[in-house]
Amino acid sequence: MPEPVGAMPATGTGGSIGRIAWRLRPVFLFAALAALPYLLSYSQQEIAVLLVINVLLVSSYRLLTLTGEWSLGHVVIMGVGAYASALLAKQAGVPVPLSMLLGGCMAAAVAALLSFPLFRMKGFYFLIGSFAAGEIIRLIWKRFTDPFGGPKGLKRIEPFPDIETGFLSIDFYEPVNYYFLALVVVSASLFVLYRIERSRIGLTFHAIHWQDRLAESVGVDTFRYRTLAFVIASFFAGIAGGLYAHYIGAVNPTRFSVDQMVYVLVWAIVGGTATFHGPILGVVVLTVINEIVLRALGLDTARPLIYGAILILSVLYLPNGLESLGPRLRALWQRRRGGSAAAGSEPA
Amino acid sequence: MSVHGERPILEARGLTRRFGGLVAVDNFSFSVHEGAIHGLIGPNGAGKTTTFNVISGFYAPTAGRVFFRGLDISGRKTSALAAMGLVRTFQGSTLFQEFSVLDNVRVGRHLGARAGFLSRLIGTDRLSEREADAKARETLAFFELEELAGEPVSNLPHGHQRMLGMAVALAAEPKVLLLDEPFTGMNPEETRRMMALVRRIRDRGVTVMLVEHDMQAVMNLCDTITVMNFGALLVEGAPEAVRNDPAVIEAYLGSATGNGAGDAA
Amino acid sequence: MDLLWQTAVNATYAASYMALIAVGLVMIFGVMGVINFAHGELYMVGAYCVVFLYAQENFPFLLAVAAGLVFVGIVGIVMERTMFRPLRDNPLGGLIASIGFLLILQTLVVFGFGRRMGHVPPSTHGKIEFFGAVLTYQRLFVIVAAILLLAALWAFLRRSKFGRALRACAQDTEAASLQGISMNQTARIAMFIGAGLAGVAGALTAPLVSPTPYIGHSIIVTAFIIIIVGGVGSLEGAVIAAVLYAFVHTFVTTFFDGVIANIVGLALMLSVLVVRPTGLFGARERA
Repeated sequence: MPEPVGAMPATGTGGSIGRIAWRLRPVFLFAALAALPYLLSYSQQEIAVLLVINVLLVSSYRLLTLTGEWSLGHVVIMGVGAYASALLAKQAGVPVPLSMLLGGCMAAAVAALLSFPLFRMKGFYFLIGSFAAGEIIRLIWKRFTDPFGGPKGLKRIEPFPDIETGFLSIDFYEPVNYYFLALVVVSASLFVLYRIERSRIGLTFHAIHWQDRLAESVGVDTFRYRTLAFVIASFFAGIAGGLYAHYIGAVNPTRFSVDQMVYVLVWAIVGGTATFHGPILGVVVLTVINEIVLRALGLDTARPLIYGAILILSVLYLPNGLESLGPRLRALWQRRRGGSAAAGSEPA
Repeated sequence: MSVHGERPILEARGLTRRFGGLVAVDNFSFSVHEGAIHGLIGPNGAGKTTTFNVISGFYAPTAGRVFFRGLDISGRKTSALAAMGLVRTFQGSTLFQEFSVLDNVRVGRHLGARAGFLSRLIGTDRLSEREADAKARETLAFFELEELAGEPVSNLPHGHQRMLGMAVALAAEPKVLLLDEPFTGMNPEETRRMMALVRRIRDRGVTVMLVEHDMQAVMNLCDTITVMNFGALLVEGAPEAVRNDPAVIEAYLGSATGNGAGDAA
Repeated sequence: MDLLWQTAVNATYAASYMALIAVGLVMIFGVMGVINFAHGELYMVGAYCVVFLYAQENFPFLLAVAAGLVFVGIVGIVMERTMFRPLRDNPLGGLIASIGFLLILQTLVVFGFGRRMGHVPPSTHGKIEFFGAVLTYQRLFVIVAAILLLAALWAFLRRSKFGRALRACAQDTEAASLQGISMNQTARIAMFIGAGLAGVAGALTAPLVSPTPYIGHSIIVTAFIIIIVGGVGSLEGAVIAAVLYAFVHTFVTTFFDGVIANIVGLALMLSVLVVRPTGLFGARERA
């Protein structure tokens, strides 16, 4: 696009500062995330911990949707991780960080087992099948009081152990400290999820989504890759479950019911699943709306109603999610700006 | 038998496929020899596409067997067949429409670009990926599509999409390539170019078997032609012999609607 | 022996209302290709029509039931117009929108009636006894109503112009519209009937179940099991599967417990999905 000659130097410097800022994005992001808990009240800090855990839950869910399959059992799988980690810590005396990891492995193992019946189905049948499988697991927790605690679930789950060395002492009962713990675990997990998507494995997942028969014809074992996506997604959901269980200290079957799954769906769909950051955007924006706006207005009971309305409206009017809003607004803004493109770089 | 003399690279014996009460393929046998361009033709509804789908592993045969390089492959998964060197294409423009041209062919390199899960994660698969990229570009160059590597597939004209479909299959380095109606819907000029490409693919050492309605193209291109009718073998032989066979003429005239313009069987 | 016989009578009652719900769900799926996740909440709203009109405002029970049918049918039309019509080419979107709608219905009922169980006094106190089994009039009423309604629906679909249109739309939307069948009109009627059947099932059983705003969950699980076992597009399959499932569920509940019965039901559904996704009574494999 042709620009007025006079504007060139300004654009140049503005551009380079902008570019450096752009490069330093992760630094800013981490600074903001590190400062965040100190700007919040105690109860808001607790919400921030859950938000970080939910980011992992919804991001792992997205990995599964890359192959084109939508599950209704993801929250139950998170519960498998939570129950397994809690039971390992309570009954087998496994130290908590290790139990969380094993909880993730347990969730992955359950997913591997479930993939045999479930991946004989596709689309709507997979959705309903995953729902049925999840309900069966939940009913097993409910029915068998030993070891799952029945409808009341497990209580007094071992907390994350405090770190006590000579000069460093961290008590993870404090939400701020648990926030940082969760942040580290979730960031590492997101990094792994991101790497998987950017690798050939991610390309293959997408290929299966768009044309599974064509992918098969060049040697892609679609069953194996669907299973792989399901297992990886479930592992990280299980890790999220472990983080949850040892933070709250209690789990029960209702906590992992399909109602909770609805929230994951809302986050993913409102955010948009086409990009890595879409679902994260969804869960962050909706949690902020939920906790700040709704709480301030005293509309707590209306929460499901508002979530329901948002879900319907976004399916109807924002089918590609919030992530598509940015480019759309930018296009609109540029169109309204018309030819005066040089003005765009003025803020620098 | 035929000029090629050796053992067939692909062979069907007594192949049968039923759908409920309907017999789509009925005790059908054929053999394809290494290095050949082998045509499978027949009037609409003769069972060509079903035969193709059985050979390529989308359906298991109800009865009978398929042999590939002497091995019984009946009922094996499509992906396993691809790994053995038997790769098919699809009718029309079945592609990863949301991907770039290059990424389509990169998926075609699935089998060639092996790496463990961990090495994908930490990026030590870079070497095999670079190789896969180079192979993919080379395949694109073979089809004279290399300049379009970065384009989204949906921007490509129809004829290019058909070639890309073949490029994806060829990237998997097949020994036998099954082409599903490669000329349907093409104008004479495009057909001529496509025929030249099929010959060049064969010259690279790939055996080609194709299902086609366009009699003219098949007659000029193929070394051997198998004609099927009502799910069963009618005639197999060299183009000249097949063209003048009364049974073939009868079958094509009998189906009245004519060939060429017909849609999918 | 008495217990067996009594359980069979109980299962017959369960089969009746389950068939109403499942047939409604299949009807909606047949025409619109959408699985209505809010179907359990339509049942719940029907039940609350009786809570409001009959238990709170003292209207006659039958009138309240009729109102439940019509009101929930209208809710169905609203769903069709606002969600399923604009999302006609997007079945997954329709399903997800119906999940949103489910949350809205639940919350509205909580606002109106609270979270606690609504108490509905029985409309009759009589019962009949035969061969040692007891059947209350309240339950008998559900059985009779279900038979009448389903028979009426069957006759309606057989005889009316709408029935033909409905079958045409279920088979091939495009061909149907070429024959001059209005897709919108057909969808509206199907939605009214489908939702109305769920509503009337809720209304009829309200005195027997003590409804809560969250009762829809167990209803939709039941309905899913039935339509999967019966074969997703088949009305007859839904009725047969409702009877089958009601007997399995009632017997397992009586001789083991309710949770085991639910596990058995879900496992049954999962195995049908794996072995025969078209359902036990659905269409056979196609070419």
